[in-house]
Amino acid sequence: MKEGFRQAMAWLHTWAGLIFGWLLFAIFLTGTLAYFKDEISHWMQPEIPARSVTSEASLTVAQHYLQQHAAGASRWLIDLPDAREPGLSVRWQQTPTKRGERGQFTEKLLDPQTGAEVQGRETTGGEFFYRFHFQLQMPYPWGRWLSTIAAMVMFVALISGIITHKKIFKDFFTFRPRKGQRSWLDGHNAVGVLVLPFHLMITYSSLVIFMSMVMPASILASYNGDVRAFFDDVFPQSATPELSGKPATLAPMAPLLDRAREQWSGGNVGRLTVNNPGDANASVVLVRDSADRVVHDFGSAVTFNGVTGQLLGSTPAQSLPRAIAGSFYGLHMGRFADPVLRWLYFICGLAGTAMIGTGLVIWLGKRQLKHVKSGVMPFELRLVEVLNIASMSGLMIAVAAFFWANRVLPVAMAGRADWEVNSFFIVWGLSVLHAMFRRGRAAWVEQLALAALLFGAVPLLNAVTTPYHLGMTLARGDWAMAGFDLTCLGSGVFFAWAAWKMQRAGQVETVARQRVQPIGLEQEAR
Amino acid sequence: MLLALLLCYGGFTALCLSMDRHHAELLGRKQSARRRQLIKLAGWLLLASSLWAAVASTGWGLGLVQWCAVLMLSALLLVLLLPYRPRLALSLAGVSLLVSPVALFVQS
Repeated sequence: MKEGFRQAMAWLHTWAGLIFGWLLFAIFLTGTLAYFKDEISHWMQPEIPARSVTSEASLTVAQHYLQQHAAGASRWLIDLPDAREPGLSVRWQQTPTKRGERGQFTEKLLDPQTGAEVQGRETTGGEFFYRFHFQLQMPYPWGRWLSTIAAMVMFVALISGIITHKKIFKDFFTFRPRKGQRSWLDGHNAVGVLVLPFHLMITYSSLVIFMSMVMPASILASYNGDVRAFFDDVFPQSATPELSGKPATLAPMAPLLDRAREQWSGGNVGRLTVNNPGDANASVVLVRDSADRVVHDFGSAVTFNGVTGQLLGSTPAQSLPRAIAGSFYGLHMGRFADPVLRWLYFICGLAGTAMIGTGLVIWLGKRQLKHVKSGVMPFELRLVEVLNIASMSGLMIAVAAFFWANRVLPVAMAGRADWEVNSFFIVWGLSVLHAMFRRGRAAWVEQLALAALLFGAVPLLNAVTTPYHLGMTLARGDWAMAGFDLTCLGSGVFFAWAAWKMQRAGQVETVARQRVQPIGLEQEAR
Repeated sequence: MLLALLLCYGGFTALCLSMDRHHAELLGRKQSARRRQLIKLAGWLLLASSLWAAVASTGWGLGLVQWCAVLMLSALLLVLLLPYRPRLALSLAGVSLLVSPVALFVQS
């Protein structure tokens, strides 16, 4: 390969990585957290108990509740609990007063064991990270566009990074710690190369997920600009049978679960939709749980008559192009992953975050070297430094603040969920200010230490503010709750270590500078 | 998945040892060309068999995903251990190869 080409790629990698690095760091970190979004939501709504009941039992409970409270509704939606989402959610839509209008939805959470209503505290939970990951808290569709552009830049940075890296195989196992810049570059290369399959998959699949938004040309051309017609073709609506007007009692729905499983040769039901309950033409649509298979199927469902139990129809098998798109979607979301694989996803996500973070540190470190002696940094380097600190350690503090707000804000507070999100952004903003007013290394050390304190104290905070402390959750085997506490504790220890490392590296640097100075003075004296 | 992980880790350690620089660092002596070839072959065979182990236990779809996951994890673990605890990294590889028949027995 020509050196000129490689240099051009190195230039591209450097600048594409810098400009989008801060945003990509936040996208990667929140995306990584979103792999545990159900567990995070569970921790943030501790009032909702985790029960181990069968789908049949929870469906019977839901049906009983809905027949008592929403007999006249035009539609019921039931989301069955699973190992990760403990709540049994029922929603119903009132019959619209005028034709063509949408009826109003009511949502309730039930305890799948007793059937009693459960009131969880108001929170966005893990959904916040999931949404931020691709919407960036911006109005539709700007956030999606920005995150998609970031994904494209990420893809460019990955490819140009592979081309720039001369010795992928020779340095495959190389990591040399305690060597300053060398170590940072080794670390950047190691997490980049070793976890490359994940990086490529996650970046490419994110473009596939938004393909109809990013590259609509083929759709617009084939459908004469009518995008809705395309979506109607891709996601056919199941035709709802007309109201017969004759009342009839809905048969127990629990046996339908087994019949749906037969249809899918052993898949699980995630959601049920009951159209026109209480009518002779009631229909029950059972939608397959997306956690069943690696290849995501957009709405694989079977429909039964709700009164007679007759099979009315099922969605056709996936076509190959849809299966390919579905497999990218499924791989990106990782909903199929069991706890062990989910942790591996999480580790890979952290590796991606670390790759971006080390890249940003290297960019600055290389350029800072020139200014070590004078101790004065030009404005642009100082800007990068402030953004580095705020986008990395500041973001960590903001995440911790989000969790703290969930426990500290009063449960009955109005607009509570919004204030949790607000505290995330307020703290993130404060971290920018702090980074501006403190010298680089001091800002790093202080912010990392604060992150260590906040994360490390989460189990304590949880024990003080709720009855669900570690001793109890561990004994009860509530692994989502206990795992959250322990992971926060682990992150706290990690940040404490990072702060200590940073502090010590700073001391070594000052000692080195002091040693350099006398020689300089002597030379001047001569 | 455990068997695939054990075989993967062993395979990567073998591939690492087949490189002269790492071989000298870890074992403190040079290796003959023939020995290098043998270790390299063993490494690739172990990686291939870990693919087989993953696919045989859960089918192609999930198996490939699991294999990629353990591939990345075991390489990451090895590279992180090597500079800090080289003896531990090597003995882990030995243990994982010794345990793998047991894991095979449990899996099948």
